[in-house]
Amino acid sequence: MDGLKAALVLFIACLLQLSVLTEYHPFRTASVVLVALLSIALLRGSVFGAIAGFTVGLLLDTATLGTLGVTSLLLTVAGFWIGRYGETTARDRFHAPFLSVAVVTMLYVLGQLTLEFVLGEPAPAGVAVHGVPGALLLNLLLTLPVYALARRLFPPLELGDRVREVRLLG
Amino acid sequence: MPRNRTVRFAVLGSSVQRAAPYGFPSSRSSAIKRRIIVGGLVLVSLVLITVSFRSSALDGVQGAGASALRPFEVAANRVARPFRDSVGWFHGLVTARSDNKKLRAQIALYQQELIQDEGSVQQNAQLVQELNYQAPPSVRAYNQVHAEVLANPLSATEDSITISAGSANGIAQGDVVVEPTGNPDGTGALVGTIDRVTAHVSRVMLLTDDDSSVTATDLSDSNVIGSVKPGGASSTLILDRVPKQWPVHAGDTIITAGTLGDGPLKSMYPRGIPIGTVTSRSNSDADLFQNIALQPLVDLSSIQSVIVLTPPANR
Repeated sequence: MDGLKAALVLFIACLLQLSVLTEYHPFRTASVVLVALLSIALLRGSVFGAIAGFTVGLLLDTATLGTLGVTSLLLTVAGFWIGRYGETTARDRFHAPFLSVAVVTMLYVLGQLTLEFVLGEPAPAGVAVHGVPGALLLNLLLTLPVYALARRLFPPLELGDRVREVRLLG
Repeated sequence: MPRNRTVRFAVLGSSVQRAAPYGFPSSRSSAIKRRIIVGGLVLVSLVLITVSFRSSALDGVQGAGASALRPFEVAANRVARPFRDSVGWFHGLVTARSDNKKLRAQIALYQQELIQDEGSVQQNAQLVQELNYQAPPSVRAYNQVHAEVLANPLSATEDSITISAGSANGIAQGDVVVEPTGNPDGTGALVGTIDRVTAHVSRVMLLTDDDSSVTATDLSDSNVIGSVKPGGASSTLILDRVPKQWPVHAGDTIITAGTLGDGPLKSMYPRGIPIGTVTSRSNSDADLFQNIALQPLVDLSSIQSVIVLTPPANR
């Protein structure tokens, strides 16, 4: 059921990103897909986040006729990493979604630049870095409503459900 | 009591397994399973990148996927249009006063130029007829395919848009894309060229893409021939390789030059498509050519519809 809900949320986020946000130049750097994915990954863990990231990345690459796999790779890693953060240290912390979105927004831009550079495509670092503050601000503004919606759709599980293995340190 | 059951081992060296909980898929899976899944997804992504980048084996699948997504994107565009129009309307209200003043000044200028141009047009038509001059194909000779923009660039580093027409509509790679306007032939300024085609969706490489280069000339002086390329900043262009002896002035309109000479390689751009206006020009002793900056006539960051010019001879 969670998978179906996540698929629907991310599909709508994709359409919103492609058809609405990119229409308005000031909002172009915002990524509602990234924010939605990270919110879901935080609430549902690393494997769920990685699979959701891979699927939504594939959807974006297909819709934009881009090189298949580029966005999938970046979003898989982002979904997994933030999911892992959600499973371990980010439990019930208010700042977790904001911190996750801020860090991943910057790393996503760097990752995208690196991949484009490796593939021999134009990778204007100046342009990309110039857009980072705007992207950071807009994504953080999006985090509050998107995370609230994600939390309603994917209620946090009990603490006991999150931790399976503990190491005693004394 | 076994020998290894020391306090130190109990505190530092052991891990306690809890019973597998219900309801959290990722925590149910073991660390190895988790790593296998993520590793597999990363591997699949890398394989997809390699195959997609090196060959066209996945083009059919991607095209089918893009075609399947097209109705949803079109529907989303339709839903978003009233909001977009509202924003545009309010923005228009804010800038209406300054726009009105600027447009009135332009009308006065263009009225003067129109009088001069009408005489030139008549003279040109007469000379073409007398000399039986065979001009290169103009924009009017091309077929026009109107298409809606499905997705503008997703990030600052991307310079491509996706449109809702493809090979099924007669579009081929390399076809020229212009903006629709109220001109008599319906076409406006240059947007780019078709970069990738599937049956119902195509990708347009914008003028600001690093791989884009268009042979261009100055509307007011056909001796000025150069190459329009992306500038350093986003949404700016430069007119490169213009020798210093040919004067270019700020405000000049730069258009496509079309095919020059009788070489075997014909330009894909018909002559006379407006590209941009010259915003600045400078010379330095170190450079062989002039430094000419252009402002595109189209706002390449938010295009809503385009016209694809398909050459009739190829169809």
